[in-house]
Amino acid sequence: MTDFSEIRECLVGLDDSRLPGLISRALDAGAAPADILNQGLIAAMDIVGERMENGEMFIPEVLMAAQSMSTGVDILKPLLGDEGGSDRGRVVIGTVQGDLHDIGKNLVAMMMESAGLAVHNLGVDITPEAFVAAVKEQDANILCLSALLTTTMPMMKQTVDAIVESGLRDKVKIMVGGAPVTQGFAEEIGADAFAPDAGSAAKQAKSLIS
Amino acid sequence: MNLMGLQGGQYQPLTQDQVKTIHGAALQILETTGITYETGLEATANMLEAAGARVNRDEKRICIPRDLIEASVAKAPEQVVLCGRDPKNDLNLTENRVHMGTGGGTIKILDPDTGEVRATTLQDLHDVSRLVDQLDNIHFLVRPCIPTDIDEKDYDINMFYTCLRGSGKHVMSGVNDEAGLHKVIEMASMIAGSKEKLQERPFISVITSFAISPLKLCTQSTLIMQEAIRNRIPVALSSAPMAGSTSPLTMAGTLAQLHAEELAGVTICQLTNPGAPLLYGGIPGMANLATMGYCGGAVECGMMNAAIHQLSEYIKVPNYNSSCLSDAKLPDAQAGYEKAFTAVLNAMGGSNYIHHAAGMLESMLAVAHEQFVIDDEIIGNACKVLKGIEVDEEHLALEVIDSVGPGGNFMTAPHTMSHIRSEYYNSNGVTDRKSRDRWEAEGSLDARQRALNIAKKLLANQKSYITEEVDQAIRDRFNIILPA
Ligand code: B12
Repeated sequence: MTDFSEIRECLVGLDDSRLPGLISRALDAGAAPADILNQGLIAAMDIVGERMENGEMFIPEVLMAAQSMSTGVDILKPLLGDEGGSDRGRVVIGTVQGDLHDIGKNLVAMMMESAGLAVHNLGVDITPEAFVAAVKEQDANILCLSALLTTTMPMMKQTVDAIVESGLRDKVKIMVGGAPVTQGFAEEIGADAFAPDAGSAAKQAKSLIS
Repeated sequence: MNLMGLQGGQYQPLTQDQVKTIHGAALQILETTGITYETGLEATANMLEAAGARVNRDEKRICIPRDLIEASVAKAPEQVVLCGRDPKNDLNLTENRVHMGTGGGTIKILDPDTGEVRATTLQDLHDVSRLVDQLDNIHFLVRPCIPTDIDEKDYDINMFYTCLRGSGKHVMSGVNDEAGLHKVIEMASMIAGSKEKLQERPFISVITSFAISPLKLCTQSTLIMQEAIRNRIPVALSSAPMAGSTSPLTMAGTLAQLHAEELAGVTICQLTNPGAPLLYGGIPGMANLATMGYCGGAVECGMMNAAIHQLSEYIKVPNYNSSCLSDAKLPDAQAGYEKAFTAVLNAMGGSNYIHHAAGMLESMLAVAHEQFVIDDEIIGNACKVLKGIEVDEEHLALEVIDSVGPGGNFMTAPHTMSHIRSEYYNSNGVTDRKSRDRWEAEGSLDARQRALNIAKKLLANQKSYITEEVDQAIRDRFNIILPA
């Protein structure tokens, strides 16, 4: 069995120029692409996530690591066949209508991506109808709504209601977040989950669909 | 002791050459990179184009040449007077004159009775307005918290009404839309007696976050900004990038981008209505790189806010910015030192209208009654620094030194009596300088508890700044939720 520690160190150490070389070396040595992905790249991102939560790594560094991770995934993708992609979560995320705050929402999107989910980021000021359409189009199993204003929190409820009316509610889990949003509010409007930050949002999303 | 409107400028983090370099960089940003806009601002883009800007409608990009900026900026007034209901609360914003007050929009409060954090209500907004009215070193009232217990369609009118009723100081707030702005102007005109009287003595003004950094115009807020400018209601052109996320990580880069955003805003306003009063509203902030949250308590925020005043002063437009924020969750030692550092740096920088300076915790997300009292003390101390040390015959006191003579004491000298109330800062009562015995006998209270007690006393004083007759007229016209 190949040792993936160098690949992990390279990701955690933000030394992305070496990553493609290390991956091809592992492949040449006969390592299974799925092992490189799981024991190399994803395991490294777990370490990164932990360091982020402990405040040892800054978010821009985490995003850099996530970028190198996706470079690595791109190399492996053609070799992975179905095993890598079929069970992945499909996320639609956006900031609700009337709200233009997107920094937190984008962070959540990036963290979900680096956790291996397929993320479709709609942007800001998204109407309930546009959310419904995107969930349909992307065949999403997770819908993430962000709101930073007390004036736009009611729009989260309207969006949840629109999903119910469209008949999609059984097919999609709904997560909500943003500074004024709380667990209680999430329950009140009939969402499935709330998370206070990007790291826990990604974890929650994965557990929602597993 | 009146410590409002003193001249700052003692702290200048940028040299004059650096100011010119950053100003030049900002002009270059607007000429080559430009700003972007979205659907809804076509008329604004047309107006800029007609004045000489290059507009690329496919890419929604506007590049503004430097002579257009310079010509527009020159039309903005060098002095803006924001009035209180009583002229003693008037704010003369110009040069390096410093004023400090509250800032807007928190959604949580540390409940004064339980200490627990909870959502803010309309009653909280009224209580906090009453506190600000009575705390001398808080010079103006930017609506400090959101009434989360009322319907959002009632926000605009009720926030202004509640602040104007509870406090006689200048009131500033954002509004949700242009219709909200018109309602607010109408109500304020009723209080003033007429719209003309309101324009003569504007005791209200508006904030618009017209820019979404980096370099993007916010449609709704830009429309509100232009509408306020057309009505000659003073408007603060708020733009608040966070270094590391919505502006470059470096301080110089953040200042250059922010100055560019402000120059664009001032240009739009002065093309809309030349000579209309406005405040340069650059608020340089920082992202907390561990979470990407807003990092208001950092000492660099104090440095950068002083620097941005130098840039506004360079173009001779009075400025609105921010200091005395803290990332602490309660009024603890961290809140104290973060607030004191950024407050004194920005005051010494000479910023004209420093908001966010009282009551806030948790990076703009929470307020606390006791924090208003503590911050009143911090602002007072920061402004006292601006007074400097007077050195003249009277203050040199040679006569009294001679008459007391070697080995004597000054405690009962007439000279002592004549300066006893004016030479040193007078505490609002929150600062403890008692003996330990006395302090223990009084319950060993820390600053937070002492501040809470002061706040409680102040809140016992009822007062309304709206006469019964006008109040009734306003209630007949608008849906006012605060009980009469
Ligand atoms: C930056 C900012 C802005 C920027 C936004 C830039 C941008 N590109 O997003 C600008 C200047 C444009 C802006 C505008 C306004 N803002 Co603003 N803004 C902020 C500020 C300072 C920081 C927000 C932020 O980016 N935080 C950093 C990110 C990383 O944190 P976050 O967003 O909370 O996200 C994290 C979590 O919440 C969670 N999360 C977020 N989304 C989701 C989604 C899901 C599904 C999950 C699970 C988790 C999750 O994970 C994220 C990462 O850890 C806050 C104050 C504050 N401290 O929060 C005010 C604040 C939110 N704004 C406020 C206001 C009032 C406004 C304006 C109305 C101002 C005005 N008068 O014009 C406008 C509104 C514009 C609009 N229509 O949306 C108020 C809100 C008050 C209220 N009524 O609720 C606040 C609280 C400031 C204040 N006290 O006044 N703002």
